[in-house]
Amino acid sequence: VNFGLTEDQTSVLDGLEQLLASAAPPMPTEPTFAAYSEELDTALAEAGFLDIARQEGFGALDAALIVERLARLPHALEAGASSLVAPALDLAEGLRPIALVSGDPLKPARYLPMAKLLIVDQGDQAMAIDVDPANVESVETLFAYPYGRLRSLDGCNPRLINNSEALRRRWRMAMAAEAAGCMAAGLAAVLDHVKNRYAFGRPLGSFQAIHHRLAQAAETAESAKWLAFRAAWSDSEVDSAIAAAFVQSRTTQFTYDLHQFSGAMGLTIEFPLHLWSYRLRALAGELGGSSVQARAAAALAWPEAS
Amino acid sequence: MTRSIAEFRQDARAWLEANVPSEPAPPDGPESRAFVLGWQKTQAMGGWAGINWPKEVGGCGLSTLEQIVWFEEYARAGAPSVLNANFVSLNHAGPTLIACGTEEQKRYHLPRILGGEVIWCQGFSEPGSGSDLASLKTQGRVEGDELVINGQKIWSSFADIADWQELLIRTNPEAKTSGALSWVICPMHAPGVTVRPIRTMAGNFKYCQIFYDDVRVPLANVVGGLNNGWATAMSTLGFERGTASLALLIALNQQVETLLAACPASRPQMRARLGRLRAEGLGIRAMAYRFALESAESVPGEVGSMIRLAFAEFGQRVTAAAVDLYGIDAPEVVGLHGYAHDYFDAFSETIAGGTAEIQRNIIGERVLGLPKGAR
Repeated sequence: VNFGLTEDQTSVLDGLEQLLASAAPPMPTEPTFAAYSEELDTALAEAGFLDIARQEGFGALDAALIVERLARLPHALEAGASSLVAPALDLAEGLRPIALVSGDPLKPARYLPMAKLLIVDQGDQAMAIDVDPANVESVETLFAYPYGRLRSLDGCNPRLINNSEALRRRWRMAMAAEAAGCMAAGLAAVLDHVKNRYAFGRPLGSFQAIHHRLAQAAETAESAKWLAFRAAWSDSEVDSAIAAAFVQSRTTQFTYDLHQFSGAMGLTIEFPLHLWSYRLRALAGELGGSSVQARAAAALAWPEAS
Repeated sequence: MTRSIAEFRQDARAWLEANVPSEPAPPDGPESRAFVLGWQKTQAMGGWAGINWPKEVGGCGLSTLEQIVWFEEYARAGAPSVLNANFVSLNHAGPTLIACGTEEQKRYHLPRILGGEVIWCQGFSEPGSGSDLASLKTQGRVEGDELVINGQKIWSSFADIADWQELLIRTNPEAKTSGALSWVICPMHAPGVTVRPIRTMAGNFKYCQIFYDDVRVPLANVVGGLNNGWATAMSTLGFERGTASLALLIALNQQVETLLAACPASRPQMRARLGRLRAEGLGIRAMAYRFALESAESVPGEVGSMIRLAFAEFGQRVTAAAVDLYGIDAPEVVGLHGYAHDYFDAFSETIAGGTAEIQRNIIGERVLGLPKGAR
C-alpha cells in the first residue's frame, strides 16, 4: 500500500500550484453568494490540467487529485465533469464547460449558464445536448455554483450516450473528490478562526466541546479524501458509489460543525465559509443523494444479496 | 362569560381562516416592516394580539393554554412565520418589560408592540462578545438624567427597520458583571445611531451591526434598575430560551406533517426519517408545553435551555430533511426563499440566544447539578 504521490503526480500538482499562484483570483473581498472565475477556468483548460486523464501515462486518479485541489479554492470551477466524466464517455476534447443533470433535462444544473455541453443521466441511458446559450436561463440559488436551466428541449437534438454506468461512476467520483476539497478548505478556515478568536479569555479552539466536534469533522474530511482517491485509483463502480455515499451522508453534520464554531460571523456572507458549505450542500443532493449512492454501493458490492 | 378552550380554538380557527395573508412575507427591508406591522395590526384589531399578555397593556389576559392553542391554530392555518421582524418585540422585549419594566414603560411600550406600531431589535452581542456576553464593552456614561452611549453591537436581527432596541451596556466599569451592566430601551432613530445591514448566508439582510456615537438616552429608559442589567438580561434570555420558541416549535411540527404527506411510499428511508422527526418533535413539544404552563407566572428558568437546545437541533434536522425530500433542484428548494433559505437560516438556531455548547453547559451544571469541569 502506497499513499504517496508518484513523481509525475507531484510534478503535475506543483505545476498546478504555480498556475494558481499566478492566475487564481484572490479571496473575494466583497460579500458574495458565489465566486466563479472564467479567466482561471480558461487558464486551467489551456494548460491542459482539465484534460489530464486523456494524456498518456495519466488517468482518473491524477484528474481526481486536480479536482480535489481546485475545490479548495473559494471559486467554483467546472473541473469534475471535464476531467473525469468526459474522458470516460469518449466525448470530444475541448467541448466544455460541461453541466450534468439527472432525470429531467430541464432541471437546474451547475455550470449550465456557461456550459457548451449538458450530459443527462436518465438511468438506463444517458444523452448529451449541445447547449445554445440563448436556450439557458440563469437560476438564482444559495449553492455557490452558477446554476441554469434549459428553457426548452425544442431543437436540442440530444445524442445518446451508450455508457450510462461510466457516467454515474465518474460523476460520483468527481463529486466525492470535489466534496473532499471543499471539506478540507472549509475546515482549514474554521481551524484558523478558532485558533485566533478569543472568548472567556481563551482561544475558542481551547474548549473541549470544540475539540470534539472539529476532530470529528477532520476525520470526515480525511476519510472523504481517501475514499475519493481510492475510487479514482480503482476506477470501479463500487468504490465510486461508496465514496459518494460517504461524502453525501456526512456533509450535513460536517457543515453544521464548521459553522457552529465560526459563530454569527460564519452565518453571514462576509465570512467565506459559505463558499464551500453551499457547494457541499449542492453536491450532497446530486444523483439522488446519499441513500441512492449507499443502495448502489450495497448492490454493487453484494449483488447476490440484492 | 368565558369561552371554553374548545370554543376558543374554534373561534381562532375561523378567524385565522378568514384573515391569514395570502401573499408571502417579504424577507427583509421596509417591505418586511410594512408586512409584519400590518399583520400584527390585523391581529390586534381582531382581538388576537397578546393572548396571554395582561389586559392593562392591551393583551387578552388569557392563560398560557390559550396562547398554546392560538399557536397551534396559527400553524395549522399556515399563517406567516413568527420568526420575523416582530419576533424580538413579542417574544423577549415585551415579556421582559412585563416582568421587569416600570409601570410607565409598560404603559407606553406594550400597547404599541401589540398594536403593530413599532418593531424592536436586540442589542446584546458585540464583535468581541458573543457567547461571553459579560465581556461586552459598549459603555453608557451617566450625565445628569441621561446615559451617553458609545460602542457597537452586532448580529442584531432587523435593526435596520426597528424603532426600539433592548440594549445591554456597561454603565459601571468598576463593578463585576452583576453590578456593571444596564438594560436600556434605546430609540433606534436617536442621533448617533448608525445601522449597517449584513447579508446572511440564508440570503436576506437579517443581521445588522450598530454603532453608537454619543447617543443620549434618558435614564428613565433603564429597565430593571441602573447597573442591574445582568439580571434583566437573564430574564430576557430566559424568555428567549424558554418560551420564545413555542410558536416556532409548533410550526416545525406542522411542517413535519406536511413533509410526511408529501413523501411517497416509494421512499421508505425518507418516510422513516420523517417518522423519527415526528416522534422527536412531539417529545420536544410535550416538554415545551409543560415548561410553558409551569412558568406562566414567572420568568422561565434554566430548564428552558433544554427546550432551546432541542428545538434548535430539531429545526436543523427538519429543514435538512425538507431539502433532501424535494431535492436541491426542485422548485421548492432552489432559489433564495424556499427550503434552501430555511435550511441555511436554521444554522443560526444553535448559535443565537446562547450557543448549543452554552445551553449544554447550563443543563449540565444548573439542571442536572453536575460539577463544573474543564471545558
